[in-house]
Amino acid sequence: MQAGATAVTASPRLPANTFTIAGALLFIVVAAVFTGQKDFELGAFWLIGIAFGVIVQRSRLCFAGAFRDLIMSGDGRLMRAIILGLAVTTLGFGMLMARFVPDPSFNVLPPGAHIQPVGFATIVGGVMFGIGMVLAGGCVSGTLWRMGEGYVNSWVAMVGILFGLWGASKSWNWWYDNDISKREATWLPTDLGLTASVLLTLGLLAVAYVAILWWEFRSPRLPEPKAKPAPPALTVREYLRNSWNVVFGGRGWTYTAGALALGVLSIVAYNLQSPLGVTGGLALWADNAARVANAGGLPLKGADLLAGCSSAAAGAEWLTIRTTTMTGVVLGAFTASVLSGEFKVRFSRNTARYPQLLIGGAAMGYASVLAVGCTIGAFFSSIPSLAVAGWIYAAGLAAGAFIGVQVIRRLP
Amino acid sequence: MQIDVRGEMCPYPAMKAKEALKKLSAGDRLELITDHAPALSTVPWEGAKLGFLSEIAGKAPGEWVITLEKANAPIDQKQILTAIAARAAELAPDEA
Repeated sequence: MQAGATAVTASPRLPANTFTIAGALLFIVVAAVFTGQKDFELGAFWLIGIAFGVIVQRSRLCFAGAFRDLIMSGDGRLMRAIILGLAVTTLGFGMLMARFVPDPSFNVLPPGAHIQPVGFATIVGGVMFGIGMVLAGGCVSGTLWRMGEGYVNSWVAMVGILFGLWGASKSWNWWYDNDISKREATWLPTDLGLTASVLLTLGLLAVAYVAILWWEFRSPRLPEPKAKPAPPALTVREYLRNSWNVVFGGRGWTYTAGALALGVLSIVAYNLQSPLGVTGGLALWADNAARVANAGGLPLKGADLLAGCSSAAAGAEWLTIRTTTMTGVVLGAFTASVLSGEFKVRFSRNTARYPQLLIGGAAMGYASVLAVGCTIGAFFSSIPSLAVAGWIYAAGLAAGAFIGVQVIRRLP
Repeated sequence: MQIDVRGEMCPYPAMKAKEALKKLSAGDRLELITDHAPALSTVPWEGAKLGFLSEIAGKAPGEWVITLEKANAPIDQKQILTAIAARAAELAPDEA
């Protein structure tokens, strides 16, 4: 081992099964047409979910990892990419909200924006979600796209998430009466105006970016590998093949490319109706399943007045823009991982991991109801909505991830 | 010594590698089996921090064995990190 870092044989790549690919693509199109005929936005959000899944699978954009790696190894690459994504989304949302609410000082909130109430539940939710996502090996969106990639661990975590969501809806009324109903959904532009709020948000993001860079450079960092130059394209076919490999080649996208693409997707989604969110759909299915099994699923008090990822407004529907987004993420990630030869059914040999995944998932599910969203709905869509809640939730997530890291260091 | 972390995702491959390397008896080498592509850079990186050199071999489609062995001389961290990153990029399947 003189060279220090040698590769003996390259691993054979996984065969991309033509039938699987054709089947997945056909299903995507048929489902888009079917849901789109029922309601245009259902179909649109199904395709947005697919795009979401493709983006996060190709770039391995893991929100749990962004918080965890900062604490565990001082690696800030993921978090800095997410901050860039937040900055782009903030600009886009700012323009949309200027159109929706020309004068914010009247205390009118922009429709569809993710502006959650700021209270005790935001902090408890953030910390609990932070612990849960580290234990479960991924946040809710991370669990969804790894389910699509074939990680059995993530399917187990999802069972935990659904139980957590169900448990939270059973105790929702207590939280609503004692905390959430008394708090205000604080929107920065109400006091500061829209332009100042956008500038303040961008300024805070810039400060966070530099602070993370400073933190990152305290320890030796892994340099970004340079992409191998593509073979020369002498024909149209070769040119197209090279372009295809940029998107579905084995190396994947950079974190930054993924985060920027996700930001643009969120702007598109908000322009249609509402920013990206995944837990609302899961909560709805957990509630509906509980209702079918006669195990609760009462209508959540006051939740139809809440903005963001809440299940209540939809009633007993199974198909909403949130549920099509969430199922789209799984199928998008599945399709992208099959196309890039990365799909593989994998399960942990360490059986002690499974109860940990269930507990972590349950904590996340419960917390996402309290905070009205997960790392996507209450963070990635909330900060660009110029909501104060997004920042408080992010601080809670960081604190929770810190506790979570201490816990997993002591686990087998 | 051999550990099998197949099915495990970040941070466990690197975490388990670090724990095992600390317990490794002198002269022994660690073989880690993984099916998590990000581990191709994170595991050798943890190893390099503790003075270990690494070798990666393909085992099956989407599965690798990373062998870590103590270096005889102190290693140049900067150079080894660059080599690890380049190798991880190399090992990812090039064409879809």
